[in-house]
Formats: sequence, structure tokens, C-alpha cells
Amino acid sequence: MKLKEMPDEELFTRGHTACAGCGAAIAARNLIKVLGKDTVVVSPACCLLIFSATYPLIAWKVPYHHVAFENTAACATGMKRALKVRGKDSTTVMGIAGDGGTADIGFQALSGAAERNEDILYVMYDNEAYMNTGIQRSGSTPFGAWTTTTPVGKVKSGKENFKKDMPQIMMAHNVPYVATASVGHIQDFINKFEKAKKIKGFRYIQVYTPCPTGWRHDTAKTIEICKLAVDSGMWTLYECENGKVTINRKPKMTPVAEYLKPQGRFKHMTEADIKKLQDWVLKKWANDEKLAQMKT
Amino acid sequence: MVKKMVTGNYAAAYGAMRSRVKVVAAYPITPQTFIVEHLSEFVNNGELECEYVEVESEHTAMSTCVSASATGVRTFTATSSQGLALMHEILPIASGMRLPVVMAVVNRAIAAPINIWVEHNDIMPERDSGWIQVFCDNNQEVQDMVLQAFKIAEDKRVALPMSVGLDAFILSHTVEPVDLMDQGLADKFLPKYVPPGPIIDPDDVMDVGVFTPPEYMMEARFNMDKAMREAPKVIEEVNAAFAKQFGRNHGGMIDPYMVDDADAVLITLGTASSTAHEVVDDMRAEGKKVGLVKLRFWRPYPSAQLRKIAEKSKAVGVFDRAVSYGVSGPSFIEFKSAAYGLNVPAMNFIGGLGGRDVSLADVRFMYDRLLEAGKTGKVKREITWMGTRGVEQ
Amino acid sequence: MLAFTRIDTKRIYRKTQVYEPDIVVILDEGLVETVNVVEGLKKGGIVIVNSAKKPEDIDVGIDVKLATVDATTVALEVLKQPATNSAILGAFAKATGLVKIESIEKGIMQIFGDRLGPKVGELNGKAARVAYDRTIVGQSRGHRQLKTAKKWLPDVNELPLGVAAVPMKTEAGMVGPGSFLESKTGSWRVFRPDYSKDKCTMCNFCWFYCPEGCIYRKGEEMEFDMDYCKGCGICANECPSEAIKMVR
Repeated sequence: MKLKEMPDEELFTRGHTACAGCGAAIAARNLIKVLGKDTVVVSPACCLLIFSATYPLIAWKVPYHHVAFENTAACATGMKRALKVRGKDSTTVMGIAGDGGTADIGFQALSGAAERNEDILYVMYDNEAYMNTGIQRSGSTPFGAWTTTTPVGKVKSGKENFKKDMPQIMMAHNVPYVATASVGHIQDFINKFEKAKKIKGFRYIQVYTPCPTGWRHDTAKTIEICKLAVDSGMWTLYECENGKVTINRKPKMTPVAEYLKPQGRFKHMTEADIKKLQDWVLKKWANDEKLAQMKT
Repeated sequence: MVKKMVTGNYAAAYGAMRSRVKVVAAYPITPQTFIVEHLSEFVNNGELECEYVEVESEHTAMSTCVSASATGVRTFTATSSQGLALMHEILPIASGMRLPVVMAVVNRAIAAPINIWVEHNDIMPERDSGWIQVFCDNNQEVQDMVLQAFKIAEDKRVALPMSVGLDAFILSHTVEPVDLMDQGLADKFLPKYVPPGPIIDPDDVMDVGVFTPPEYMMEARFNMDKAMREAPKVIEEVNAAFAKQFGRNHGGMIDPYMVDDADAVLITLGTASSTAHEVVDDMRAEGKKVGLVKLRFWRPYPSAQLRKIAEKSKAVGVFDRAVSYGVSGPSFIEFKSAAYGLNVPAMNFIGGLGGRDVSLADVRFMYDRLLEAGKTGKVKREITWMGTRGVEQ
Repeated sequence: MLAFTRIDTKRIYRKTQVYEPDIVVILDEGLVETVNVVEGLKKGGIVIVNSAKKPEDIDVGIDVKLATVDATTVALEVLKQPATNSAILGAFAKATGLVKIESIEKGIMQIFGDRLGPKVGELNGKAARVAYDRTIVGQSRGHRQLKTAKKWLPDVNELPLGVAAVPMKTEAGMVGPGSFLESKTGSWRVFRPDYSKDKCTMCNFCWFYCPEGCIYRKGEEMEFDMDYCKGCGICANECPSEAIKMVR
């Protein structure tokens, strides 16, 4: 499906209460268009739940429910198994959660569902912190970022650990499909959701979704930052289909400092910090490249 | 009629199979594990057609049941002790979303100290979870109550999840003769599942469990309370219907035995009820007027019925297999609340914790104390810690 | 979105919402059109509005003492972002006289300065001072029909089982799936997109990128729905042919 072929009908209506410029809203709105009406969705407590479904006003025009914080994959499992019993096996079952609810507290349920190869689509929208509760660091927060639990202080500043590589952890589960995407890379985004919809078994897509409120950037720059993330190598666009890894976009290797510039969460970083991050990016990219060459 | 010697765990699994559960979430924990194992055998042998999910934790087990139930199918799981505690977060979600999930709970002590034998302190913290809760004292009852649980929970007047409790090892692992029910009779009693409320369905869009502001909360909670108040009526109806169809009557909310003219009445939960039953017979033969109330349903609580019995008794004792530290056993607390204003001497016997046996002699001791209190009108000791070394009895 | 403050010299015991305010501060001017902003306002009360208009040009439905200041512009000038919360404090000082502007500046330095550094404290204090100077206190006459936005408040028998959001048409509008259409988020914005049809190549990028989905494809041009646009500026930032510019 090309961009211009996407349907006009919104299955995620305007009027929702996401912050202006929210990357997650861009993701939700567009992915449900690609997946279509025959989809059921579960979300944990997260920004998406709050801004898309505050009783009795709902943005979703497909069945959507919420249970708790850490069990998105478990609930998607329950929905899928029940639909199968009811003879509606072709319905797409999607669990969509943030990075906190996936990489941290949601990890157990995610890993269990992946290991069982449950026939569900799991989407992690990655805004790189626990945004709903006011910007706390998660396993997916990048090195050096300011968050309210890694604040800029007189003695210490910023996150001290590097971003957890969830895509590769999911690849190690040997599930049929794992992919990374970004709201700034339109055709790649559409392709991946289209592909995932058709595959049976456990599918995982991690979408890069900048957050103006938490990353301290201009609301207009959400898409620009996606492009910087991919061009610098901070975020690799790739996919793993039945063990075969394909890099979808080779990074230009723009200096990481360019990526950091528009974001207030990095403005305290020292030259040494930036070099550390740059080294990590180079190492990460080399590893990603090798993986693509190996897993063919 | 197929009468076989089976364990309580087998009986629970069999009841679930006869209830035609469609999604089962399975996770092991002693002493419940055999329930999910038996179910896996039923499934893999083609006797039970259902989606069997070998989940990776109890939290996931209950979550899977909740979402599956919300998507319109009959669901079942089983747990004990620490597993129930891990599910704790999801239990009020099941009841708040008004989903008729049924769960077998093999009552086992909750840590610390870590212990695998019977105690009721795993289910007691779930008192206010919005789940309907029943305690069984024999394996026949266990099987039967699983079927009845679905019927009660799925009733539109109720629409609340329900747990069926059985004591660790005493029922779970002990074989007893059980009339394993016929599928045809079970189907007649429990027909095809009709969800009591709106469900997740791609062809009929609705959303549930979403973020809810204060304006709707009082009404939501009131409706749950209302359902819990309607439940006793439904419980009695289901019990009567079951007795009619299967010829077995386990009693409704309570099962009173010889209480009408009793000088001393003991209220018990779980298998102690069964032991006490024998002691009542022995003591009655000796001319002592003792009676027993098997407290079956913990939630909803049979306040009115217990109060009526207390009004006519000379002394009432409550046996607790759990403690609310610093106060008394929880069943005693509930009883005192029901008996508020009455002058009847009341005593609490805390015993059998962590699997310590409750013997015939123990029960006799309780009745002797009660008969004494009934005669003198005075309570010698309000709370007795049965057989606890270093503590005055 | 309502927030409350109580100010007293004695200990304040009540811990409830404010139902009868002495002072109403409105940060979003659009609310005057959609909500009864003076509900419960005590006799002799005062209304403070973030607006470029003069007090006599604002109609809140009743005759009332009213003060205005364009706090958004002040914030954009001094702080380079439309965060009006510090600026409006200056208007509060001028309109009510309950506190001195010097006290406001001191308080801001204490709270903002401690958390975010002296420079931030200073700038926010300046925003308050500038707003203080520009605040006009006057009288407004009320002719408008006061309306209270209806809200769906089901009783115990009407509330769906399990608090499910089922599609329903209520006297307060739609509820259930897709009902967020009832929430007109256009009142959030400070800037809005200015579209030049002749520069547009119909690439559809803005249509995809809009977080609200309030840009529609209408044949040979794009249509921007101002009822919902939050003014994020992504469309303007990404348009490859510069057909969109953000304006006030």
C-alpha cells in the first residue's frame, strides 16, 4: 500500500487528548488504518490509554480494552485464544504498549507470549521513558538523557546505562517477525504493518515515537528528530523475517551531536558523554550490520 | 453414574471439563498443580476442547482469563498461596469488569514462613476483591461447585467472578469417592455460555476497562455491591436446581447441622467442618446438645442467617484457619459484625495454621469450652490459639 | 481542566473543590465561548482572562469586574514559549491587589529558581512583571446566554455493565467508540497552519504526519480542520514545498 492509497477513514479519531506533536498519536492513528477494522486492541496504563480512552470518550473505532500495566502480551493472548474459540481467527489481535510497559514491567508477559509463538501483533511505541507518569527513565531511555529519575544535578546527571536492545532480544525468541519502524519514515512504516498483518504467529514491531514533552523538543520537530535518529544510527530501521535480517535503511552516520541538539533532555551532556554515546552508536551499527550479514 | 476414587484436584479439573471451559490458563504451584496437569491431559486426549495456555506466571494466568472472558468465552484457572497473591492485582479487575471467571483455589499458607500446607490466609486478603468465594469440605462438593460457580457467576443478576476453595492436601491430594458427572447432565444444568455483558467483538465495537474519571465511580461500585447482595438469592436457586438435577444438596450459603436446639454452635470454614460433623454426632450420642454451621460462602457473607442462629444459641464459637494480627481470626470478626447487639457468648478458636492437624479432640475441646460458656454465660477466654506451645489454652 | 487555590492568613481546613470562587482566572480564552466560566462566582468577584482584547470587549455572560492581559504574547516574548502560568500571576497581582508584584517575583525566584536555576527564575519573574504592567483592569457587560456544557451522568441503572464504553447517543452527545470527536481540541492551540494551495503538491505527508488526523484530503487540496488543530507545527515543518506556515 502506498501512502496515497491509505484510506481516508480514521479508525482513531481526532479530539483525543495527546500533547501537541505526540509521536505516539501519529503511530496509533496510522497503524490502525493499515491494520483495518477487523482488529482488536489491548493497551496497558500508558499515555496512549489515557489520551485515547477516558470514559466515556474514546478515539478508537475498533474494540479496545485495558486491563493492567504489565500484562499487555498476556491480555492479547487471552483475546486471541477466545477469538479462535469463537471462530474469528482471522481478526488481528494487537497489544500496544509503551517502552516502560514492554521492556521493563511488561517483559515477562512479552517473553512468555513470544516463546509460545502466540498469534498476536505486539507493538511497542518507544518514547524512551515512562511518559504517562511524568518522564521517568525506562530500560529504553538512551544514555545520558535527563528524566525525572535521572535528573541533572550537581553530582550526577542523566541516565548512566545504555538503551536496552529490545528488537534483538525479540529476535532471539525466534519469532516469525520482528521489525523496527519510525513515524518519520512513512513507506517503511506502512510496509511493515502491512506485512505484519499477513503473518501468523508472534510479531513484534517497535516504533520510534518522539515525545516533545519528555524529550524537551519543539512540538514541530517530532518527525525531524525521527530522521536524525535514523540518519545518525541511534535508531536502526531493520526487520527480521523468520530469522533473516534485512537493514531497511543504511544510516548516513550523521554525528550523534546533531541528533542531540534539538532535544532539551540532552543539553547538559559533556563532550565526554557525547563521545561515549557516539562510540556506542558506532558499535551498535557495526553489530546490526554484522547481524544482517550473518542472518541470511 | 461413575463413582471413582479421586483427589480434590482431579475433581476440580473434572468439574471444569464438564463446564466446557474454552480457555484455560495453566501455571504450576503446590498443591494445585495437578489441577492444571489433569486439564492438560483432558485436552491432549481430546476430551476437552479448549485453548490451553501454558502461561509464564500466575499474573499472566489471571490476565489471560480476564481478556479471554472479556472476549466472550468461559475461562478457568487454578492457583494457591503465593500464586493467588501474584494474581492479586488482577482480581479486582476481573470483578470490576464484571467478568464471570471461575478459579479453583487450593488454600495454602502464604509466606512468610514458606509452607505448603493448609491455611486460609491466602484467600483472606481477597475478601474485598469483589469475587464470590466458597469453601468446600469434600471432593464431591469441589467438582459440583465448579459447575455451580459458572452458573452463579454468569447469572445476569451477578456477573462477578467466583473462586472455589479446597484445603491443601486434605482435599487436593486425598482420594475420596466422587460421582463424576455426566456431560449430558452438566450441559443441561450449564448450557452454552451467554456473556452477561458487552464483549470484545470486531463486529460489534465497544471498549472496556478504560481510564474512568470520578463522576462514574460511585455508581460503578454501587452496582458491584448490588450484585453481591443479589448473589445469595442466585446461590440458593442454583443449589436447589443442582440438587434437583443431580440429587446432591451441599447446602446454600451455609450448611447448618443440628443447630435448632443446640446449646453450643461452632462455625467452621473448610475441611474442619467435616471433622466437626463427626464430633457433633459423637457428642449428641452422649446427650450433649451441640450444633455446627458449615460456613460455605465467605463472600457474600450470610450475615442474616448466622445472626438468626446466634439469637437462639447459648454460645457460639468460630473456628478460624487464619489470623488478622492483633485482632482475631477473620471469620470471628465477620461473625461479631453480624451478631452486633446480641448478648450471646462468642469465642474464637484459631487453629490448623500451616497444616497443623485439626483433630477430633481439638473440635471436642472447642465444644466443651462453648458448652461451659453457654452454662455460665461467661467466656473464659475469647481467643484460643489451639495447641500452641507456650500459650495458655 | 479546573485547578483551585485557596489563600488565607489562617489555617485552611476545607479540602474540597472550590464551588464559589472569589476570583476566576482563565488561561484559555476559548473557554468563554463554551463553558459558563462564572458559575458560582461570588458577588463582587473578579474574572481575569488571558486575552489580547480589552475588558469591555469580553462577554462572560454577567456584568463583572474583569481584567485582561495577553499572557501568551508576554510568554512568547520573554520565555520564547507559550507557557502562561508565570505571566498570569502578574495579572493576578494587578487585578486583585491581594499580593504585591514584588512578592510574586520573589516567590517565582524561590520556586522556579530552586528547581530550574536562577536564570529561569529571573525570566519567569520578568514575565510576571511585564504581564503586570500590561494588565488592564476594567468592567465587562454580560449579554451572552450562559450555557453549561452538558455531561453524560448515568445513574446506577444506566451505567453499562463493567463500565463498558458502548456506542450511545446521549443528551450530552456521542459516547463510546469514536466519541472523542465531541472534544474540540482546537482551543488548545497558540499557532495555526496557514496553507497555500498553489504551493501544495498533494504529497500527502502532512496528512500522515498530523497527530490529530485533522488534515483532510479534499480532491486537489488539503483541508485543515481548525476545530481540532492543536497547532503543533509538524505539518509546516515537514512540508517539502513550504506550502504551510505557522501563524498566530
